[in-house]
Amino acid sequence: MKFKNLIGAGLICAIILIVPQFLHGYPMTVVNVALLFAITSYGISVMLGMGGQLSFAAVTFMGLGAYFVANTTTGRLGITIPTMLALVLTPIVFAGVAFLVGLVLLKLKGTYFTFATIALVQVAFTFFNNYSPLFGGPDGISGIPTLTFFDHSFRSSGSSNEWFYFISISVVLVAIVVERIRRSQLGRALASIRDNETAALTFGINTYLTKVIAFSIAGAFASFSGALWVMHGRFVGADMFNFLNAAQFIIMAMLGGVNSTVGIVIGALLVTGLPELFRAFQGYMQLFWGVAIIALMVFMPTGLAGIKDMIVEKIRKYKVCASRREGDADATDS
Amino acid sequence: MSFTLFGTLFINGLSMGVIYAMMAMGLILLIRAVGILNFAQGELFMFGAYISAALVLDFHLPLPIMIPAAMVCFAVVGLVFMFTIYWPLRKASYAATTIIATMGAAIVLRELAVLIWGPLPRSMPPLVVDEGRPAILHLGDVPLQWQNVLIIVIGVLLMYLIYLLFEKLYVGKMMQAACQNSYAANLLGVPTILTIAATYVIVSILVSVGGYLVAPIFMVRNTLGVLQLRAFAGVVIGGFGNIKGAIIGSLIVGLIEVFSTLHFSAYRDVTVFLTLILFLLLRPQGLFGEKIKDKA
Repeated sequence: MKFKNLIGAGLICAIILIVPQFLHGYPMTVVNVALLFAITSYGISVMLGMGGQLSFAAVTFMGLGAYFVANTTTGRLGITIPTMLALVLTPIVFAGVAFLVGLVLLKLKGTYFTFATIALVQVAFTFFNNYSPLFGGPDGISGIPTLTFFDHSFRSSGSSNEWFYFISISVVLVAIVVERIRRSQLGRALASIRDNETAALTFGINTYLTKVIAFSIAGAFASFSGALWVMHGRFVGADMFNFLNAAQFIIMAMLGGVNSTVGIVIGALLVTGLPELFRAFQGYMQLFWGVAIIALMVFMPTGLAGIKDMIVEKIRKYKVCASRREGDADATDS
Repeated sequence: MSFTLFGTLFINGLSMGVIYAMMAMGLILLIRAVGILNFAQGELFMFGAYISAALVLDFHLPLPIMIPAAMVCFAVVGLVFMFTIYWPLRKASYAATTIIATMGAAIVLRELAVLIWGPLPRSMPPLVVDEGRPAILHLGDVPLQWQNVLIIVIGVLLMYLIYLLFEKLYVGKMMQAACQNSYAANLLGVPTILTIAATYVIVSILVSVGGYLVAPIFMVRNTLGVLQLRAFAGVVIGGFGNIKGAIIGSLIVGLIEVFSTLHFSAYRDVTVFLTLILFLLLRPQGLFGEKIKDKA
């Protein structure tokens, strides 16, 4: 097991080191943004994959994180804090906010909770889009300073290698946290809620608090990703945080496999990258995209990770059959 | 607020409420029939608006021919929708799967509309025209748009007919039986596939007629689908799974929306959805819903 982990770590390091050698300019920006989105997607993985709670609120917390950074680092409200401090503060602050919101919304169950998060997205979007003092209104907020990491300012063009290193290391850290959660008491409690909430309750799990904690973790991830996004793109507008994009993030998580740590990154890369790759067919791209989602749900409801599992299973079965046949052959020989 | 203003706003709100109610009723029918929350409801609505715009603007059909032609188109859309989004997924084990599939369908319908009819919004003439402008009905001294009045009349009539079909007629009883326990219904000789197909066709027609009616007010564009969120709000406010509740909830949503534009037009979504959140917290079973029971 240790050996497998080592190989995985080596592979990830190699990918992080190799990718910038081949990607420059705009494709690099796209990859960076996709990796940012993967962090939000991990939050959805915790809520939907582990806990079985369909929440659209991820974009709203992304927006809150983004606007928090935009306000505190440009000095719009009279105070200016260093970008690094803002980046560290964001997930802490919004984990708290998400905890409070979760305390209220998770009193509801199942579909009712989903509807409440839709309502939250709509309310937040309306404020983002209209309330100028805090959110810049329809024009958004521009001129946000780029990330300064211990006296070293990241190059402002989002395509630079240092952005890629920083973001991919963040993604790896978040992925490790998610893996730990999956193996922890919290992860198992969430899984039991997903599979049968009443049974979980009778086993003495505080289902309400467990779900609120999961919601708060998802909020922290999403706000962190929003903060990175805004420093990377140096502009924030409300359009990013509407209901359609909320659905897009759910699709991102489902596409790769909502319970697969690697699948989430692949899903994020596909959802963000494919439309850019097929820019020439822009008109048809979205159409194919919708058809692909439906086809995926029909044939592979567990996402791309499900395909991998299926292939592994097939190979295993084939091997078992082969060894059995060999065994039979040996038996007849003797 | 003067009485004339109040009257105009009230009728506007009511007509928007009826539009939301049509979508909401469709949602409930689908939930009862196949247990699927349809996130493409708004897109079916939008597609209905586009189809009727095509029949009126491109084919120049007169009204008596246009109506049956539109009905046939709406029914076909409903059937195609059923056999692509519902039928292959009816045995899916993961509840989120079908929801995501309807989201995919929403994207497909939005993009199809742009591919077929172009990205520019199309303007539909209202049903009653007075010298090239939307006709105004003067009720006492309250000026009302004819289109709004017609929305209320046609919408209520259509919903009442569908309600009668489901609650009073034998066919409706069969459909309800198939919804409640499709296995037992099958044993009793109810063709489940036919009743489900019929439900999809009815829902598609109901929602698309809503799109046709609202087209002259909002223009025909592929973002019309976002109105479905208001229908969701109406469904929850009225009480989940309850047709009467969903209709009244949607009317409330329409009225709240229109009256809040009077004071803070940019924030009308906030009033609608804060009301929804308040309802969810204080009375999650909705106005007419039964107390939610946990499934053991």
